[in-house]
Amino acid sequence: MLKRDLVLVCLLALAAFLMTTPVSAEQVRGVTDTEILIGQTGPQTGPAAAWGAVARGSGLFFKGINDEGGIHGRKIKYLLRDDGYQPAKTKAIGTEFVEQIGIFGVVGCVGVGPGMSVRDYYTENKVLMVSFGCSGVTNWIQPFNRYIFPVYQLYVDEAKALTRYFYENMKLKKVAVFYQNDDYGKQGLEGVERYEKEKGLKVVATVSAEVTDRDLSSHALKLKESGAEAVVLWAMPTHGALLLAECAKIGYKPQFGTSSTLSDGPLMMSITKGLWAGMINSFPIETPDSNHPLMVKYRAWHQKYEPNERWGTFYYSGCLYAEPLAEGLRRAGRNLTPETFIKAMETIRDWKGAIGAPITFTPTDHQGCKDTRFAQVQPDGSMKILTDWVRITK
Amino acid sequence: MLGQLIVSGLAVGACYSLLALAMVIIYKTSDVLNFAQGEMAMISTYVAFTLMESHHVPFQWAVILTFLFAILLGASFEFVFLRQAKEPTVLGLIIITLGFEMILMGFAGWKWGPDQRSLDFPVSNIETYNLFGLVMSKINFWTIVISLVLMFILFLFFRYTKVGVAMRATQQNQLAARVMGIRTKWILSFTWAISSMVGAVAGMLIAALGVLDPTMMMDPLLKSFASAVLGGMTSLPGTAVGGAMLGIIENLFGGYVSLAFKSVVAFAVIVLMLCIKPSGLLAKHYVKKV
Repeated sequence: MLKRDLVLVCLLALAAFLMTTPVSAEQVRGVTDTEILIGQTGPQTGPAAAWGAVARGSGLFFKGINDEGGIHGRKIKYLLRDDGYQPAKTKAIGTEFVEQIGIFGVVGCVGVGPGMSVRDYYTENKVLMVSFGCSGVTNWIQPFNRYIFPVYQLYVDEAKALTRYFYENMKLKKVAVFYQNDDYGKQGLEGVERYEKEKGLKVVATVSAEVTDRDLSSHALKLKESGAEAVVLWAMPTHGALLLAECAKIGYKPQFGTSSTLSDGPLMMSITKGLWAGMINSFPIETPDSNHPLMVKYRAWHQKYEPNERWGTFYYSGCLYAEPLAEGLRRAGRNLTPETFIKAMETIRDWKGAIGAPITFTPTDHQGCKDTRFAQVQPDGSMKILTDWVRITK
Repeated sequence: MLGQLIVSGLAVGACYSLLALAMVIIYKTSDVLNFAQGEMAMISTYVAFTLMESHHVPFQWAVILTFLFAILLGASFEFVFLRQAKEPTVLGLIIITLGFEMILMGFAGWKWGPDQRSLDFPVSNIETYNLFGLVMSKINFWTIVISLVLMFILFLFFRYTKVGVAMRATQQNQLAARVMGIRTKWILSFTWAISSMVGAVAGMLIAALGVLDPTMMMDPLLKSFASAVLGGMTSLPGTAVGGAMLGIIENLFGGYVSLAFKSVVAFAVIVLMLCIKPSGLLAKHYVKKV
């Protein structure tokens, strides 16, 4: 009898314990009293590893934020994983993030393919995706997804604005396009074609290259044959360097212009042996030596925490991509859930607290940045800003 | 445009030839296709880069030290990995080269990072020689010269030196060669060392033509493989002919048919060649007795 009572008491005690400690069951995934878990996938190895600097830059930002005391008493626990730019790996890491570690959200996650492999899975699991994909493709805003907050300027609009700049500011009317044969390159091509169509003109040549191509001699010849005065370049750094060298060999010197993805002036000047000088860049971020108070602070963090990292555009753009996440967390307050975070993010209007273009999110439009600036690469690799912020997306 | 496409094709074909030459040297001796050839060349090129950039070693000394490194790399790969394989089949050895390729790629990413670098070279990639209105960059011209000279030296080496003959004997029948007093293991190490050095020459020229990064040899390696198949996997002059032909075919296809499909032409060439003449244009087809 006594034994049965003891078992009953134990069971009641266990039930009471489970009822009085519901926090762990109802707790918001990735949020504790002291921490917020944020994931990031980025290529640290493989052919796209140069873009992995972005993910490490976000790590620098969170180190600085944590040292300043965190956000509302919580520190950011930042989990960076190498996906090698392979969507299958990104998906496996995404599953680990959600089902084993339990993250609140992700920041960055470079790459269209990798991002697309987890977009729907993260959405089903209410994972917040801030600055997702670090790329200006339309995949993050079409169809509208309330969990994604992209900030990168849309490639289509960026290329269209660059063509307009050539046409209106530099009076260059014969424009050709050299693009990488994937979503990134094709959206650049689409932007140029849209502008040309509006003006009743035609792109004089469209030349594409596969990511692995290393011989661009016939590509350069085709561009020269077209007689283009300006060439819009929507490709990766290696192709930029190869194409400019091939054009120089055959004595073809058009005005080149390119997207913000090739905005690391010192790197490009080094690998093109100076041919990159004069390039017109879409440049929607502060220059590396900017006196912007945030840039001064980030450079100090860089010296303090990661002095061995090269202070390049890719690296410190990682700070830019993490800034809206931190602002959303600040605005959401101590009661942090996916819903309070989304509502807080959607109050961000024309926010200039980042090292890039002003950011706006509304309940029906999550395309954060709609402006860019144009800059020209100088012989020492620095950027000369040519314009103020220009609205490129309606 | 036709003339310029052909000249540019010849120039890029010379790079394919050089790397194909490195592959063929190993294939001639051991029947093994070395898929790590590109990455071995890439690592050697990084060594040259580090010597010049970080230690300010003059170019000619950097090249000599890089050759020594390449020789050591090739010989030690054969000694440490391939020789230790138990009862290896050719397929097994090829898989080991694939594994080595991954190791080298990972190592380069860890040691030098993913950023593209520029390799200082005494010959300009932008300055050109002009002939009848056709242009060729100085480095392209010297790549052709270097690949032809190397090919000629290796041809003489294989044909007229004792070691060269021993290498050919080792390929045809290792057991018989051993019975005849040839130190076949030493010969294999020597082959890998020579091949690695030729690869290093190709790597440095390819980096000087474009950029230096851990993935720089992926495309050239596949193209050089296609060149070797086209010219004949056991023929040294075949690599020169195969490389030049592939470079020209690719460029003409890109110039007149489609740039989007230019990079797949090499693979179409492999398939066609294997269907029509599996031994390649210049190699003799022979059947091994069993």
